[in-house]
Amino acid sequence: MVNFTTDQVRGLMDKPTNIRNMSVIAHVDHGKSTLTDSLVAKAGIIASTTAGERRFTDTRPDERERGITIKSTAISMFFEVSKEDVGSIKQKTDGTEFLINLIDSPGHVDFSSEVTAALRVTDGALVVVDCIEGVCVQTETVLRQSLAERIKPVLVINKVDRALLELQIDRESLFQTFSRTIESVNVVISTYHDPVLGDVQVHPDQGTVAFGSGLHGWGFTLRQFATRYAKKFGVDKEKMMAKLWGENFFNPATKKWSNKQIDADGKTLERAFNMFVLDPIYKIFDAVMNFKKDQVFNMLEKLDVKLVQEEKDLEGKALLKVCMRKFLPAGEAMLEMIVINLPSPATAQRYRCETLYEGPMDDESAIGIRDCDPKGPLVLYISKMVPTSDKGRFYAFGRVFSGTVRSGPKYRIQGPNYVPGKKDDLFIKAVQRTVLMMGSYVNPIEDCPAGNIIGLVGIDQFLLKSGTITSSETAHNMKVMKFSVSPVVQVAVEVKNAADLPKLVEGLKRLSKSDPCVQAWIADTGEHIVAGAGELHLEICLKDLEEDHAGVPLKKSEPVVGYRETVKAESSIVALSKSQNKHNRLYVKAMPLDEELSKAIESGKVNPRDDFKARARILADEYGWDVTDARKIWCFGPETTGPNLLVDVTKGVQYLNEIKDSCIAGFQWATKEGVCAEENLRGVRFNIIDVTLHADAIHRGGGQIIPTTRRVCYAACLLATPGIQEPIYLVEIQCPENAIGGIYSCLNRRRGQVFSEEQRPGTPMFTVKAYLPVSESFGFNADLRQATSGQAFPQSVFDHWEVMNGSPLEKGSKLEEVVTKVRVRKGLKPDIPSLDTYYDKL
Amino acid sequence: MATMQTFSATGEDAISRPVDIASESTPEPGSSQFYTYYEIDRTVRLIEEGNYKRIALQFPDELLHDSVPVYQALQPRLGPERDAYVLADTSYGSCCVDEVAASHVEADALVHYGHACLSQTSRLPVIYVFGRKELDIDSCVEKIAAYVMLKADESTHFNALELKHDVAFTHISNDIVSRLRLALGDHCSVMHVPRPDYTFPVPATSSIEHSKLPPPVKSEIVPCEHKIIVWIGEESPTLTKLLMTSSGKDIISFSPSSGILQPQSYLTNKLLMRRYALLQKARDADVFGILIGTLGVASYLPLIAHIRTQLKKARKKSYTVSVGKINPSKLANFMEIECWIWVACSEAMVDSKGYLRPIITPYELEIALQPEPEWTGKYVLDFQELLANAKLDSQCRDETGKNKDTTNDDELDPDQPVFSLVTGTYRHAKRYGNDSSNTKDATESPTQSGHLMPRSKENALAKMSDSAAIQYLHSRSYQGLDPRLGQDAPSVLEQGRSGVARGYADDHPDK
Repeated sequence: MVNFTTDQVRGLMDKPTNIRNMSVIAHVDHGKSTLTDSLVAKAGIIASTTAGERRFTDTRPDERERGITIKSTAISMFFEVSKEDVGSIKQKTDGTEFLINLIDSPGHVDFSSEVTAALRVTDGALVVVDCIEGVCVQTETVLRQSLAERIKPVLVINKVDRALLELQIDRESLFQTFSRTIESVNVVISTYHDPVLGDVQVHPDQGTVAFGSGLHGWGFTLRQFATRYAKKFGVDKEKMMAKLWGENFFNPATKKWSNKQIDADGKTLERAFNMFVLDPIYKIFDAVMNFKKDQVFNMLEKLDVKLVQEEKDLEGKALLKVCMRKFLPAGEAMLEMIVINLPSPATAQRYRCETLYEGPMDDESAIGIRDCDPKGPLVLYISKMVPTSDKGRFYAFGRVFSGTVRSGPKYRIQGPNYVPGKKDDLFIKAVQRTVLMMGSYVNPIEDCPAGNIIGLVGIDQFLLKSGTITSSETAHNMKVMKFSVSPVVQVAVEVKNAADLPKLVEGLKRLSKSDPCVQAWIADTGEHIVAGAGELHLEICLKDLEEDHAGVPLKKSEPVVGYRETVKAESSIVALSKSQNKHNRLYVKAMPLDEELSKAIESGKVNPRDDFKARARILADEYGWDVTDARKIWCFGPETTGPNLLVDVTKGVQYLNEIKDSCIAGFQWATKEGVCAEENLRGVRFNIIDVTLHADAIHRGGGQIIPTTRRVCYAACLLATPGIQEPIYLVEIQCPENAIGGIYSCLNRRRGQVFSEEQRPGTPMFTVKAYLPVSESFGFNADLRQATSGQAFPQSVFDHWEVMNGSPLEKGSKLEEVVTKVRVRKGLKPDIPSLDTYYDKL
Repeated sequence: MATMQTFSATGEDAISRPVDIASESTPEPGSSQFYTYYEIDRTVRLIEEGNYKRIALQFPDELLHDSVPVYQALQPRLGPERDAYVLADTSYGSCCVDEVAASHVEADALVHYGHACLSQTSRLPVIYVFGRKELDIDSCVEKIAAYVMLKADESTHFNALELKHDVAFTHISNDIVSRLRLALGDHCSVMHVPRPDYTFPVPATSSIEHSKLPPPVKSEIVPCEHKIIVWIGEESPTLTKLLMTSSGKDIISFSPSSGILQPQSYLTNKLLMRRYALLQKARDADVFGILIGTLGVASYLPLIAHIRTQLKKARKKSYTVSVGKINPSKLANFMEIECWIWVACSEAMVDSKGYLRPIITPYELEIALQPEPEWTGKYVLDFQELLANAKLDSQCRDETGKNKDTTNDDELDPDQPVFSLVTGTYRHAKRYGNDSSNTKDATESPTQSGHLMPRSKENALAKMSDSAAIQYLHSRSYQGLDPRLGQDAPSVLEQGRSGVARGYADDHPDK
């Protein structure tokens, strides 16, 4: 049934101007996968009769069971536009045939890392919004992400059938609902305006907004109606489109257009959109649902829609679906909108290059990416790993940005820690096969030129989650993806019988490969920890681990959260520690780092790899640092990248450069295991104020300095009012008014704080936004469902770290209890070590 | 004189500095209890039986205060033809026999006082004097019997009981055993392996062959499912060792000082888990340091050789380091070493919490080097058993390897990164050793040092790609003195501070 061949697709791959790489993004349950079905049906991959129910891109059994998408799925399609429409494409094109690489992504916040991975390899986004629920928290998140990646959006307002059938609202209200939704999308877009990308706000009269119903398989843009009416009115199609939206009214009496609702005679005119677009739809709905079959067939004939006999025998909703699908096929409208309005790789890579590539903009790889040159050096970004039917092996899924990838030649596989000129994280290997991803199927192809999305076989064992593949020795890495979620919820897993342990280790490896966000490691206590974005994410990961990746029975602990240690003030006195041989002394003060700066470091805006002068400039200009101090940042920590800084503020100390490496090692150690609970430190700046060193190099070696640096950092922290930070979720809850009471009581019990409560205009629904500590969020969804009898739907996403009240040093305080619990879990002595363990007297 | 003071201290403070050692309370020297406590008579008898001429007396720090009285008690009885020497300051743990120190006086026998780990020695016969500690046998037996009976009621019926105890209770162990047998009757059989208090050396060279006959403890194990191990003694490294090596078994401990009986088995798992986490860190290391922690335990040399071979086979770099008693600052001096292997007696397990790098035991290394580490709860601390296992393994591997060779080759790419559980990411292992090396070549001579080479005469630069130290040096920011010729302007000499680092002249200006 597929109406194209792999050869056809392969042929189109050589024309980067005729490729559209796009992802479908939206809030959960706004109908991405259902809508995607219409597009897939248009390509003939599935029968159009099953479109909307099949959810072709939900390939996993649990996705079907739960009715949510968990993994993003890619599919390549072939689409041909009519000759006249090619004229409306504002970018360079070649012929009328187009290749569309579509990625359907999950909508639940817990899986937004999948969205990030999908956005990286696409240039355009189909933003789906439920016409009743409007723009929700996840809509905003994914839109923001796509704009940050310089991805152009088009909008689909979905579930219009619900507005007509369930809410029965009149035409004008529907128009108002549409405009409001479009408005709120445009507000988000303009908030994250990027001058390079230009104005990407969506407007129905420009054809960048579609309306429809994924479930029923119908949809339209104003272009469809403009085409119909352009002939009738004898005006240009583009002009007609403009008339069909907004404050444009048609006076049937005078046959004149007007932009005022009241005509000269004082009569109220009907809006053109309502009259020409909504009216036929309303009429069909009305006729079908009221069983006026003759009327229906009459209308259809006028509209040039033909039904076969069996279809005519249908009744009610089934008939409605058929009529609407024939009248306004969704697949065609959407694909047309995509082809006309979304950029081709050739167009997009020109402006995306600088946000994608880490290296200089004038090296051969950058030029290859910019020009989307199939003959340039190969630059390919792997954004995620897709499991194959062969257990434990994966397709490396990514996009060719420059050059052509084929099996045979050896390429450079650069992991995320690769530094040009070094050998770390670099492998030189050949690709075994290249495949086209088609949902749960793959089609082998010989090679794949720049601008296309591709799956690679045989290199999965060299990359954990993502990486860059190139043929140029000078190539830098593509920028690492930044996820909007972080793995803040942890669970310890254990095998039920010890002999299965190797399987668990292998399973954890596979799990970390298969999900862009999940992390797995072993704690000092010997527990295997799996960390995910939220309860649902973890639940899915652990299920996969148990049933698939490891395949052995597991014991799971209750979820716990990771904390961060910090300081709340500057050290009250200078901390001093002496080395074991008493011949060296370090004088250090700790002080809190600006929260904004901590965030900037975590998001990569301030980066240890940056040039130190440029970094010093930013620190001075934006965070109020002293430039001399900022230039003397010795390192970041923990793991050399974290949000803690070691700064040298000494004056004229001899041999100081000699002990720098030792100090850094000690600092890394101290920031990885903080003094209170051996959790990571966050937002602490250590100033080395003075250093006394022995004159003989042998007495100031690493052995003396490393443990001393660690001790002095601990002492400095204990003197600087140590504090604990906990992760906080931003929770957005949609509910009817009567459920709000339940929400408040539920949040209050869990230390939650509501900071916004708004009624969604035009609906009885309220949106409540609150901050909720992650540690209190376990079981929150179930609790809320119970408190509101199932009327409230929360979405929680990690938002920030917040300093907890109180001091862990205070006996009997709540915070001390938290710290003691963590310490006991880690098998440490329950009490925080006293200051004199680390502080030495002169 | 005053100027001298600034350059060197008199060293007076080093002598007057107090050393804190909790000396054990022992009977008054000269009293009859003293003689029984130190088993003077038995010692003399054994020395005479063995006809030893030079006898070394090894005291731990806690008993050092009694060394002179003991010597004074022994020497007259031994007569003028025999000499006794007091050895002080053991290089490693005082539980081990210090054969090297004894060989400095060319001793032909050694008397070891105090707590001992009873590791097999390789050179000298050893007479152990554990010191006789007392305990309330009645209450001990009563409590143990009550516990076993109670458990029998709770449907966990133990049909065997194995008694282990601190060496200081050796003199009464037989008493306890017979009393226990009486108390438990047919209900439960009581097993006990008596502690040897006089051992003969096993030459290290024959150790591998020797180990074919299984270690004595193993042969004693009666095949029974419900065995309970009873430990009599305080919490000590010996108990830890017992816990580590007997996972899955029920262990209870009786503390003589407090008289409290408590189950300990739950700790086993926790201890093993912690070691497992360390092992994962070891898997991530490329450069290993073999730390010499004993000179007394038999077959430590073959074991070190074996470890080197293993590491070489795994293409890891190894350095052998001997620093005496270890502490964090000594080990932190070797920053390029990523993991330490502590070759020491079975009781000297180190918790590497305060150390920069993990410290593991040879058995853990063995597992860490396997492609798929199995961690079943079995734990081996005995060197001989370890060597025997390794030999068995290599035989097995040779046999199966012949069949598998062809199939496995393309699957295992040597460059393939490994998943590190410590960081949760892929790690690209550095590989040391010759690229073209096959296993035969790697095992050939582990002791041959490949790091010395004649300097070429033409002053050519030799490239040493294989040195971990050089790689580390390159990653350092400070790589030695930088001449900076002509870059700095000459400056005026300044007056520095005076004194020694422990107390500079300007440290306490008020004084």
